[in-house]
Amino acid sequence: MFLWHRIETLWRNLAQKKSVEDDLDDEIRSYREMLEDEKARYGAGARAARLEALRELGNVEQIKEQVRDIRLGARLQIIGAELRQAWRGLRRNPGLSILGTVMLALGIGAGTVVFSIFQASLLKPLPFRDSDRLVQLWETRQDRGIDQASFSEANFWDVRAQSHAFEAVAAYHYDEANLTGMGQAEKVTAIEITAGFFHTLGVSPVLGRDFSYQEARSGWNSSVAILGNRFWRNRFGADPKILGKTVRLSDRAYTVVGVLPPGEPWINDQIYMPFGYRSDANRSSWEFAVIGRLAKGVSAKAAQADLEGIAGTLAQAYPKDDKGIGFRLTPSSTWVASETTRRALWVLLGAVMFLLLIACLNIANLLLARGTARYREIAVRTALGAGRARLVRFVMMESLLLSGFGAALGVVLAEAALQAIQTLEIHGIPRLADAGLNVWVLGFAALIAILTGVLAGLAPALRAPVGNVAAALRDGDRQTGSRAQGRLRSALVTGEVALSFLLLVGAGLLIRSFTELMSVNRGFETENRLLFSVSMPGSYWEKGAGKQFLDRFFERLPAVPGVIAAGAVSEPPMEGVDTGMSIDCVSRPRGSGPAPWAGWRIVTPGYFQAIGLPLLRGRAFDARDHWVWGQRNQPASKRHVMISEQLAKLIFPNEDPVGRNAILWKGQGNSEAEVIGVVGDSRERGLAAGPALTVYLPYGDAALPTQFVVHTRSNPLALVPAVRSIVTRLDPNLPVSDVRSFEEVVSRSVAPQRFNAILLAVFSGLALLLAMTGIYGVLSYSMSRRTPEIGLRVALGASGASILRMTIGQGLRPALLGIVLGGIGAWWLSRYIAALLFETKPFDLLTYVAVAGLLSLTAAAACYLPGRRAMSIDPAVALRIE
Amino acid sequence: MKAPPPSSTALLQGTLDVLILKVLALEPMHGLGISRRVAQVTSGTFQVKPGSLFPALHRMEEAGWLNSFWGESENHRRARFYQLTQAGRRRLKEETSQWARISAAMANALEMS
Repeated sequence: MFLWHRIETLWRNLAQKKSVEDDLDDEIRSYREMLEDEKARYGAGARAARLEALRELGNVEQIKEQVRDIRLGARLQIIGAELRQAWRGLRRNPGLSILGTVMLALGIGAGTVVFSIFQASLLKPLPFRDSDRLVQLWETRQDRGIDQASFSEANFWDVRAQSHAFEAVAAYHYDEANLTGMGQAEKVTAIEITAGFFHTLGVSPVLGRDFSYQEARSGWNSSVAILGNRFWRNRFGADPKILGKTVRLSDRAYTVVGVLPPGEPWINDQIYMPFGYRSDANRSSWEFAVIGRLAKGVSAKAAQADLEGIAGTLAQAYPKDDKGIGFRLTPSSTWVASETTRRALWVLLGAVMFLLLIACLNIANLLLARGTARYREIAVRTALGAGRARLVRFVMMESLLLSGFGAALGVVLAEAALQAIQTLEIHGIPRLADAGLNVWVLGFAALIAILTGVLAGLAPALRAPVGNVAAALRDGDRQTGSRAQGRLRSALVTGEVALSFLLLVGAGLLIRSFTELMSVNRGFETENRLLFSVSMPGSYWEKGAGKQFLDRFFERLPAVPGVIAAGAVSEPPMEGVDTGMSIDCVSRPRGSGPAPWAGWRIVTPGYFQAIGLPLLRGRAFDARDHWVWGQRNQPASKRHVMISEQLAKLIFPNEDPVGRNAILWKGQGNSEAEVIGVVGDSRERGLAAGPALTVYLPYGDAALPTQFVVHTRSNPLALVPAVRSIVTRLDPNLPVSDVRSFEEVVSRSVAPQRFNAILLAVFSGLALLLAMTGIYGVLSYSMSRRTPEIGLRVALGASGASILRMTIGQGLRPALLGIVLGGIGAWWLSRYIAALLFETKPFDLLTYVAVAGLLSLTAAAACYLPGRRAMSIDPAVALRIE
Repeated sequence: MKAPPPSSTALLQGTLDVLILKVLALEPMHGLGISRRVAQVTSGTFQVKPGSLFPALHRMEEAGWLNSFWGESENHRRARFYQLTQAGRRRLKEETSQWARISAAMANALEMS
């Protein structure tokens, strides 16, 4: 009822303004007439009565104004009027308005792009129920320096049986399988999961059902499967009658019992098979990823303590495999973005905020310059009784309007930029495809638009001449630039330069770190290398079928023109799973620490040549060498391995490793093998990871390397058709997949670093441009003010060069101060970027000096034009203006 | 600075509101009538100027305490009359009791010292 009355009133005040105003006029007129009547009644003449009535009534316009001010919606009307006024002001100054809008659009657009990526990858929760209770579990062996390893199967079953901290625990095992019976064979990701895996995640199938615990218990590998949503869409056309149908995977038939809902890509594009408990589960091979859902009210810390207890019992019960075992929990949020990615996104968000701040300072500067032109207008308003608050609002309305336009244009730019970035499909930026202009992002854009509007308007608003109206009115537009005003504008320039310094240093450090990363000694050669994989089903690993395929393939391949060398390896370089073992010399001196942990790779003899790893000592594998587990109980001298240089130095210090024996899988298999050769180190785990310790094992019937490397004479991708046709002719059931050049792999592995460096470089380029405009604007304004003075100097004999020097000196002063402040700020802030740098110190002197030089040059360039103008001032003209 | 100090404004405004409500409690009245009646009931202590009266009347109308209509004045002029609403009567009651409390407290305090 009451609310309705207010709405009605508001509506009347806003929509029927005329009738409301007329009503007020009538009321006041009738009041005046009655006053006259009254005066006349007391004996005044008609004329005297009217005068007396008018006197008592007072200023009618002021009364009306007061009534208008208390009306509901009065503020809205005032704001509307002010907006219209600001709009007119902006239209009178199209140059400034367009420049300001573009600056803010760039700032807000950049901010919106970064925030949309930030939001998608860091803020958007996982699509799982209570995802904050989801964790990943890892085994550790701190005594060997391993702080994150997968689970062994047996350890998983024990943890699942003994832990009380979890509502559910489940394991999965990534595998590949060949999907056959649907045209050409295709390699797909097949994941074996324990029952309860989807329950742990908090996902239930949209079609059919989850695996039952009975199914899992009835035996290893029941023949049922669940399809990921995308897998179902892409390969079965989203067939609604898929349940009960049969899928052939690596020569086995599976009945589809369920389909998952759409969701994260990494649970979507695969097929799932159950695996169940078996009493003879392996305890030494770390192959299973384990996830857990913390029980309600149990903290990660409590769960950790619970796991420590289990680790103690396991270490006692199974000293052979579980000596030194521990467990580690990581939150599910890291499934989307790693710590480094998070850090990088924070740095980018910070950088873009700095850019926005620079844009703000620049707009403030422009408005200040224009504000002086409007000095008189504001003084008149003050004289007419506009209060300070109202003046501030009036001045700020302009910057708000500008930032509003900037935001609108910025959002459009952001959308375009985001689409461009998304088509690049930059590897390593999580959920990039999901980033978009949703409610959150638009809200963020609106928020920063308002903030920048207020911030940019703050300085001009506070400079409004409220105190000294008389002086302002008298001096008018001419004598406007007070000294305080000049100081304020210089301070803004100092701020811009300092912030630009921060951005430039950030960009410089990232670029330097990136070039370091790219120029690091990789060990292997990456140029003109073709990589692809051929996956072979389980049956190929028995009775030599797979080895036969490999041998025949490498027999045929050299006949293809353009092929220099070819080989195969068990894990693709830089992208593979890091299979590892403990390795040592036979008689390690006591007290020299634990045996090193090295990655192992199964290779064909041609691999080293194909990938360009130099043989440093001994010989490479050839037909004489066989898979180390080929025959039981064969003497060590029949088992041959090759090792990488650093590993050789670690386990055979000061002696020639060739011909010596090493213990492989120390503490597990403990088999001795002879070292026949040493090859150069390589960055097997990625460019940033440092040279890897690696043991190379010869391939054999049961040890098939499936990742192929071909060294070509020119563009490696040109050889793809030839390779495919050889594989198909040899065996049509084997799919060729993951075809790419090695350069592509390297480029993809550093994509996030490149993206960060480029983005920061773009931001700092914009910052530099803005700072340049700022310096130019301030200086040319101040020069125009000093025209008479300079004219006088010239008249008194100052040379053109000295005028130029003076001008540039004046322009450079705030910039140099900004450089100093920026240097201090960058030194302080660079610690936050340190984690992203590769072999580059956060305080990299060269970068700092280069940035300081670049900024000084830019500042000098910005000063040059106003300086030239000052030089050409004609004293006669200049003095006449005065 | 043209506005009077805020403390006295607040006091005056509150006083004027309650006087207008009180005067209108008897019968609907037009602006000039209200002004004269207020002067009369306060024995001339409060001379209500049009510059305070109109904003007060319009504010109180928008607050829902008064409503207005066009009528005919005692000497047959068209005039805008104001009358109390239910909310206005409630308001008057509240204000009256509050004023009673305040004036009692003030009198008490001033006597004691």
